Amino acid sequence: MYGNAYVDPENKIVNSITANEDPIKLAEFESRIAAGNKIEPMDWMPAEYKKQLVRMIEQHAHSEIIGALPEGTWITRAPGFRRKLALMAKVQDEIGHGQLLYSAAETLGKSREAMTNDLITGKSKYSNVFNYPAKTWADSAVIAWLIDAGAIVNQLANSKGSYGPYCRALDRICAEESFHLKYGHDNVVFLATGTPVQRAMVQDALNRWWEPIMHFFGPPDKESIHTATLMRWKVKMGSNDDMRNMFLDMYVPKIWDLGLTLPDPNLHKNEETGRWEYTEPNWEVFKQVINGNGPCNKERLAVRRKAEENGRWVRKALAKPTEKYVTPLS
Amino acid sequence: MNIVSIDPRVTRSHIDENTQEGIANPMEHFQTYEVFEQKKRGTHHIHVGSVHAPSAEMAMIFAKEQYSRRGQCVNLWVVKTADVFATEYEDSDIFDTISDKTYREPEAYKVIDRIQAFKERQKAN
Amino acid sequence: MEFTDKHVQGLKDLLYKMADDLLIIGHRNSEWTGLGPVLEEDIAFSSMAQDKVGQSLALYEILHQLGESDPDTVAFTRNAPQFHCSQLVELPIGEYDFSLVRHFFFDHAEAIRFDMLATTVVEPLQMVAKKFRGEIKYHTMHADIWMKQLGESEEAKMRMQNSINEVFPFALGMFEPSEFEAELIEAGIFDGEFALREKWLNKVVPLLESFGYTVPNAETIIPEFGGRKGQHTEHLQPLLDEMTEVFAIDPGAEW
Repeated sequence: MYGNAYVDPENKIVNSITANEDPIKLAEFESRIAAGNKIEPMDWMPAEYKKQLVRMIEQHAHSEIIGALPEGTWITRAPGFRRKLALMAKVQDEIGHGQLLYSAAETLGKSREAMTNDLITGKSKYSNVFNYPAKTWADSAVIAWLIDAGAIVNQLANSKGSYGPYCRALDRICAEESFHLKYGHDNVVFLATGTPVQRAMVQDALNRWWEPIMHFFGPPDKESIHTATLMRWKVKMGSNDDMRNMFLDMYVPKIWDLGLTLPDPNLHKNEETGRWEYTEPNWEVFKQVINGNGPCNKERLAVRRKAEENGRWVRKALAKPTEKYVTPLS
Repeated sequence: MNIVSIDPRVTRSHIDENTQEGIANPMEHFQTYEVFEQKKRGTHHIHVGSVHAPSAEMAMIFAKEQYSRRGQCVNLWVVKTADVFATEYEDSDIFDTISDKTYREPEAYKVIDRIQAFKERQKAN
Repeated sequence: MEFTDKHVQGLKDLLYKMADDLLIIGHRNSEWTGLGPVLEEDIAFSSMAQDKVGQSLALYEILHQLGESDPDTVAFTRNAPQFHCSQLVELPIGEYDFSLVRHFFFDHAEAIRFDMLATTVVEPLQMVAKKFRGEIKYHTMHADIWMKQLGESEEAKMRMQNSINEVFPFALGMFEPSEFEAELIEAGIFDGEFALREKWLNKVVPLLESFGYTVPNAETIIPEFGGRKGQHTEHLQPLLDEMTEVFAIDPGAEW
């Protein structure tokens, strides 16, 4: 599960992205992408392409690893065998996705250790949505359904991107996410069609998660040369607003179908434009959370730090200092 | 202060919320092995990804669950990434086939006409 | 032969202790999901935890066919005194050395138990024993490789050895005889805890010694019995309270 990569709108590099690149190699690179071919690890690539991809794939990997925590909150308490087994398998999948994505990022030259360190020191980001607590069992159901649904919208788009290893990882991930989505939907449906207590639980959870879900796709993109270049290079595959709209189009009707409500009186589809209209979520809150001030940022990173520390003796005992590391092939 | 979490596992772990530990050293996560999976007897092993592991045995144990926990698999290979010798994409033009090397293609060998003509001649004699 | 009431009681007792063991160890090991020492190992360990819970479900299904309540009710509404798991499985996960050592001891016992049950006269149990053979083989393979490789580093070996010493009396507790041993053997249901214990010792002791560990003397250690009769450590009831927290909101509801 994952949100759209967060591109800092205040980023100043803009015009200079390709200034220092060899124009012949750049032209070859761009024509390869324009022809629908993939870029592979050892290919020549512009420095900015590599940098943005590492940042994006790494953020994606971190989001999987941190994303295992809010849902993991309920792993020992899932009610009944069916849910218990499914939740274990789902959280496990998220870790598996993290593994695949770290490998994809490694092909660009950043080691797993460096990425882990950047995560726990707060140097690199992960999807904001995982800085919120899963207060009840119903929160875990809403996450499994709607956050994963949002993630699929992003990931399907990104799997058509230009970097081979990332696309291959995403193909495998998307196949597994379809289980998550079905599981999440099933879980929400059982709560929404269950006893009054269950129904109230899921409505509460939905109210809590609506703003984080709207934030999930990121703030409206500013038109910039930077964004345009990343789109041409098939690093960024769609605008944040387009992704959000696609998500709303697919899932709001399904939510309303269950007689559940969403905490935004302005939410509706404009039939003329075909686009959803809604109250703009509070982007100041979004920024605050990204900068470390969300309800769970501190806990998430402390838990990761502790997990890394607890595992150190195991890794140290197994490591063979004579072995040489080379980046994974693909 | 130790974290009191909604996740009982976290609360039990007595984690200081200001902990600074956990920074990994270089190479702490081992080298990588490339994983090849055979879905069915009689088919080729196909590359499916890589795992970090301290030994081939451990790589096999890891690969089994990371790559073959769903669906069909009858055999796995793991190979140290460092031991794979690969061509450069830059050199991918070495694979270009030149169209006049028809002597490698089955279509280049059409002898039916010749046999027919031969048979005609035989009959005529 | 025709089963008497005692045979059926003995069979149920056997099924309950096996199922409870598997559920509780699966539950415990699932606590590592997302927090393991290596990403790849996290995935492998979680798979095995899922396998255990799945195996327990298959056994509760057999109990259900024998007239007991459905698996969810049985697993999610009983209290500690009604559980027949060994004390070994209910202990907290501890550090990774503890969890690995428990996994090693438990899985070898389970592998042998299922192997013995592959010829039981109880057909559904025989089928279950055969069905999970592959899963359990992977579990013991996993355990052996870990025990072996951690034994190759001095510091880790010391940790592992300490855990072996700590876990061993609890591991022996798995083989607490039931009051139906004679009936189970006589009816061809199961060859009994004593036979299992001997086979298990013959497997794990040489294996651990070949990895460089020393194994406490099983003849002089007092096993931690009680679990099979509903006497548990202080850890089981809190585990159950946690596991059933959501289910207990409304046990009649469909979750």
